Amino acid sequence: MARVTRRGALKTLGAAAVVPDFGLKATAFHLQADAPQLDPVMLAAIGEVVLPAEADRKAAIAAFVRWVRAYKEGADTDHGYGNTRIRATGPSPSRSYPAQIAALESSARAAGAASFPQAPLDVRRGILEAAIAGAKIERLPARPTGGHVAADLMGHYFNSSAASDLCYRAAIGRDLCRGLQDSEKAPAPLPTPGASRGDVR
Amino acid sequence: MSDDAATHMITYESDVCIVGGGISAAMLAQKLAELKPGIAITIVEAGVKIFDFQNRTEYRQRSLDYGENAWPGDFIDDQAGAGVISRTMAVGGSALHWGGVTNRFSEEDLTLKSRYGLAVDWPLAWADLERHYCEAERRLGVSGEPGPLPEDRRSEPYPMPPMPLSYNLVQLKQWAERSGIPFQGTPQAKNTRPYDGRSACLRCNTCEICPTGARYSPDFTFKQLLAAKKITLHDRTQVRKLIASPDRKRIAAVQAVSRAAGGEAVEYRAKTFVIASGYAWSPHLLLLSDVANSSGLVGKYMTGHAFIGGQIELDAALFPGMNEQHSLISRKFFRCAADAPFVRHDLRVWESSAGRDPRLKDAAGTLLLGDALLADWRGRTKRGAARVRAYYDVHPSADSTLTLDSAKKNRFGDPLPVIRHVLDDATRSRADATRTHIRGLFELLAKANNGRLLNVSEGNYLDHPGGGCRMGTDPASSVCDSYGRTHDHDNLFVVGSPTLPTGGCTNATLTFVALTLRSAGAIAQG
Repeated sequence: MARVTRRGALKTLGAAAVVPDFGLKATAFHLQADAPQLDPVMLAAIGEVVLPAEADRKAAIAAFVRWVRAYKEGADTDHGYGNTRIRATGPSPSRSYPAQIAALESSARAAGAASFPQAPLDVRRGILEAAIAGAKIERLPARPTGGHVAADLMGHYFNSSAASDLCYRAAIGRDLCRGLQDSEKAPAPLPTPGASRGDVR
Repeated sequence: MSDDAATHMITYESDVCIVGGGISAAMLAQKLAELKPGIAITIVEAGVKIFDFQNRTEYRQRSLDYGENAWPGDFIDDQAGAGVISRTMAVGGSALHWGGVTNRFSEEDLTLKSRYGLAVDWPLAWADLERHYCEAERRLGVSGEPGPLPEDRRSEPYPMPPMPLSYNLVQLKQWAERSGIPFQGTPQAKNTRPYDGRSACLRCNTCEICPTGARYSPDFTFKQLLAAKKITLHDRTQVRKLIASPDRKRIAAVQAVSRAAGGEAVEYRAKTFVIASGYAWSPHLLLLSDVANSSGLVGKYMTGHAFIGGQIELDAALFPGMNEQHSLISRKFFRCAADAPFVRHDLRVWESSAGRDPRLKDAAGTLLLGDALLADWRGRTKRGAARVRAYYDVHPSADSTLTLDSAKKNRFGDPLPVIRHVLDDATRSRADATRTHIRGLFELLAKANNGRLLNVSEGNYLDHPGGGCRMGTDPASSVCDSYGRTHDHDNLFVVGSPTLPTGGCTNATLTFVALTLRSAGAIAQG
């Protein structure tokens, strides 16, 4: 599959994207061999709406892309204790994303914007709210499901160790190996808003 | 090893042949090798070895990220049953996924009939079992603290200092004890300092796949025994049948199929055979083989304990995720006065994020994005939450069975097991009172702290299952004696969970191991 370049992305999206530069634009994300690629500018435009301003959005989006890229279809899932059913992971959620992203673009143009990333924030918010409602997503997905790329990005971030730290404003580090020392003490406050020692999954 | 020219069946010979490669087999083999240096031990396990410790960090991460099986390939596609049957079939058995909790049963568990007129007494004394609890704790590497109740006295200290209570559990202990109920941290087979060649716990919060090796797992013992050439381990070798001698007083051989060798038939001959295949596959194999069952009780009295759980909201600032695997336990209700309505249970408390997870819509159904979602989430974390649960003592009837399902067979044509738990009349008659009692305790915990009981749920299966080859002194009412020696065959033993007459009211793995270690002496003598 062709690599999405900075030039190619901008050609698609039009000139002078208004989304913040999360340092992602020069990076193309390679998914598994036959899965679609994710456009970093589009993800940044979505992330600005669905991820909190306090979060490290760049890290959150990069982690989401890593997750999608490393997804394995047909992998055995945890059968747990006492459970007699073996299940496998389904098709990559990213297979649903191109159509969803195209619909976002279409909605943005219908709203008078040159592209979704170039649309004003409130327009993008309205488009995403409608898209999530249209996809009948009622709950934050624990893991990306393909229901909608925006909900998946949110679910991936808000269920992460980093988001938990941000919520509690404390370095809990839920998914890290932290050692036993000082575990009887309250976790240290996050040093500054938005900073976190916890890795985004 | 010999090759039978007539049948081309390879035959392996040893002093002791252990069928099944789980935690009981690991502990038994280790002790036998100590008791009788040079003893030839062969362990036959249907599943694979997963000895790639170096990959465990990656497995853990993919389990966290994708929900993938943290023990890849630890099952056999067509070897499943109906009922509560773990799919894990690999060297290490269900203990691969083990959370590592090593609570002891109490003296009451062994004396239900004589104290309360319920179920049966176990055919061994508490002091005898207690010695083997200590041994099991040493071999597994258990960290723990002495309990506050004199009834829980120990003859030896724990091998390691207790797992420190996390900040959350420190808060929850203060909270829970305001109710007047004493709590302590649960003992665990997790290293709080380097122990037995394994590292100390790093609080990774994923004990079912411990990336550091701090949580005991049988693969460590098997690797040690293999390195010292003290055992022979045949994995991917599925035992299908035990063959009795012509007079049926002994077991002559075990017949198996080697998946590793492309389905080749193999036979094991030994002076002593030990079935260590867990509560499902042990009685299943005996039924398939039509051995050890003159009592008709193989596959009967399948047991375990029932449970009720709940979530409580409380006035405490907690930080979910500090050590979700660790919990508090009260053993106060392991005891029940003989003249009071019978109810026995443990009582556990964990940190919880119930009702405090991020959500896409608020209570009014408004979609939340970005900052709004974070604000909503934060707003719901000002009060903390605790998860509570009680495992309670229930007793099986003879109709609580494992049977062979002739309609469902594996690739070899062997019928697969069906487990159907049925409780005895006395247990059923007190069910409502038990529920009321436990719910009352949950409410007591909540009220002691201006808390609120958010929900209560009842388990729909028996946890930590056992039974199916219960031990006893009377061959008419049991399958094996207290050492696991079957009444029907001098050289056939069953060890671990299948031998339990009743399932207690707390995590049972330590008890399975202690009973197995007690059996080792008799097995070593042959």
